[in-house]
Amino acid sequence: MELKICHIYPDLLNLYGDRGNIAVLAQRCRARGIDVSVHPLPLGERGDFSAYDLFFIGGGQDADQALLLDEIQQWRGGEIRAAIEDGKALLAICGGYQLLGHSYRTWDGKEMDCIGALDFYSVGDKTRMIGDYMFQWDEPSGGVKVVGFENHSAKTFLGSGVRPFGNVLAGYGNNGEDGTEGVRYHNVFGTYSHGPLLPKNPILADWLIRLALERKYGSAELAPLNDVLEERAHRYMVERLTKREA
Amino acid sequence: MRRLRIVLAILLCKLARWGLRRLGRGGTNLPGKLAVRICPDLLGSLGRQVYTILVTGTNGKTTSSRMLEQCLENAAIPAFSNRSGANLLTGITAEFVANATWTGKMRFAHAIIECDEAAFRHTAPLLDAKIVLMTNVFRDQLDRYGEITHTLNSIRAGIEQSPHATVCINADCAMSVDMMAGLPNPVRYFGVETPFYGDKSAGVTEVTRCTACGRDYVYEYRTYGHLGNYHCPGCGYHRPNARIAVTKVLSQDIDESRIEVQIGDATHEATINLPGAYNIYNAAGVMAVADAMGLGFEVIGPALAEFRGGFGRMERFEVGGQTIRMILVKNPIGCSQVLHYLVEGQDPVLLIFSLNDKTADGTDVSWIWDVDAEVLGQMEDRLTAVYCAGTRADDLAVWLKYAGVDSERIHVEYDDDKLLEIVGNATVPVYIIPTYTAMLTLRDKLARKYGLGQFWE
Repeated sequence: MELKICHIYPDLLNLYGDRGNIAVLAQRCRARGIDVSVHPLPLGERGDFSAYDLFFIGGGQDADQALLLDEIQQWRGGEIRAAIEDGKALLAICGGYQLLGHSYRTWDGKEMDCIGALDFYSVGDKTRMIGDYMFQWDEPSGGVKVVGFENHSAKTFLGSGVRPFGNVLAGYGNNGEDGTEGVRYHNVFGTYSHGPLLPKNPILADWLIRLALERKYGSAELAPLNDVLEERAHRYMVERLTKREA
Repeated sequence: MRRLRIVLAILLCKLARWGLRRLGRGGTNLPGKLAVRICPDLLGSLGRQVYTILVTGTNGKTTSSRMLEQCLENAAIPAFSNRSGANLLTGITAEFVANATWTGKMRFAHAIIECDEAAFRHTAPLLDAKIVLMTNVFRDQLDRYGEITHTLNSIRAGIEQSPHATVCINADCAMSVDMMAGLPNPVRYFGVETPFYGDKSAGVTEVTRCTACGRDYVYEYRTYGHLGNYHCPGCGYHRPNARIAVTKVLSQDIDESRIEVQIGDATHEATINLPGAYNIYNAAGVMAVADAMGLGFEVIGPALAEFRGGFGRMERFEVGGQTIRMILVKNPIGCSQVLHYLVEGQDPVLLIFSLNDKTADGTDVSWIWDVDAEVLGQMEDRLTAVYCAGTRADDLAVWLKYAGVDSERIHVEYDDDKLLEIVGNATVPVYIIPTYTAMLTLRDKLARKYGLGQFWE
């Protein structure tokens, strides 16, 4: 089996160790004999989106994101929308997540159009929501606690065309108000979680790989891996955050 | 009334410092807090009496300060310095008080003050520095600064309030150079005009874009990170010429580097009493300061060969016949440099990483994933074992696993006492690589167990 990962805008959206997610996806494929390749797609470079199976967009600095909006409007927005509707797996973090929505309004009232692939919008705020956080993700049987680190000043509000990725157990999540975190739509996962997200949440990493392979090959079984270190790191944060909230 | 406040603030600050030391504690923060509370511009009235050399930037502040200290000592210029690394407004205030008389007269005419990037804008108007050394700008402790643009704005605000300062700037750091645009201060550029690692440039870098026309810079070579010889293909904007330029690296080993350096028209050979490419940059910055002060190479050259590193900055101890080295890391680029340095060696080693997520370390530990940890995979059998410690030891273990380190060699150890036993029983050289607060704790415990000097001495 073969899996092609496309890293969108690695040159601009590469903050907070998010590249760790790619390392984890790639290595977990390799460990199972899946022929995996990573294709960086920097600003200004064109690529055939239909050739890729799994997309990743990370977070960046606010200044860089404004620059990016121009280009993404022009042409790549349409390709990302098409890939999403085509059922491609996509993980978008923080700034990359915000880009998928309708719009982003800065705290001083400037309205910026995003690519409108998903039904939500974001509004900048003066105070940042920063810290370790945790949310409940119910898709896997029995539910899973996802741990991460959030660092955003924008508040995101979901529309009726999408559902939240999870419910906040500790921290702020989408907006610190309605208890939701991230977005789910087809095979898209949007979230504020840095950390990076996947190293301490191996179930989620495998979920993404499986979705991408199922879309491509119809079905996919992933052999279990030795996740002793990952599970320990996950458990440590779950316990710490549970204690913090108590 | 004001006079009384000054005396009272000094009195309490000195008392608190004395008291804390009697209790065996470093006490680098509380005394300053007291003083600032009683007399908010105390630092102003003390600072005005002194010729201050202020050192800021992301990496290399402490090491550069130690080099400068040695330089001034050799030049017979009496000076004091905030040696303990307390580099916020309160810590700097406490340091000035400790070097003032009860009535508020400074005992020294010169000060070497390292200052946190974010605190610089607040200390600058009080200190009115005569020289500012800005080492470089890298990503650091992101959750505190938000973004690197904030760091740059903060440093710029500090320089704007230092109208009498000559500013020493790293010519190879485009962001530092661009930050100075439009500021009237005299500038002394320093840089490195030879790539350290051939064409290999290390890991994740900041995207640096021309401030004039917005195109990405093109590099003739990089030394590390985003540092190097850059120019803009659009408008021709380019790296400024460096008056202090390292032209050759003659040799590098585990204890020192030898370089050839050009200062103005003269060429010199210098030995730097610390290994690692990043310390070559530190030395170049310090030579720029010395040059700005009118001190010749006959003063700064020997100082670079003699100085002792700051605590936790490549400090060397001997414990039970083994050499223990401690190297503080704070951010991806610094940590990558340390790992590249370790990979260059020949002998087997035991590594101890200690990652804390307290405020002074940065509460976001995701930065470790921006480190070129893959190079550790190249060490194979030379890496006898890696211990993961600190509040986020488990994060380190996962990180090392995905970096390609054999899981069998990765050990998680939360108990500092057991860690000390491991250090004491080591049969190969040990490298301890901690974040800031982890370094303070480990160093203190090592000192107590194996009788090393206390850090505030």
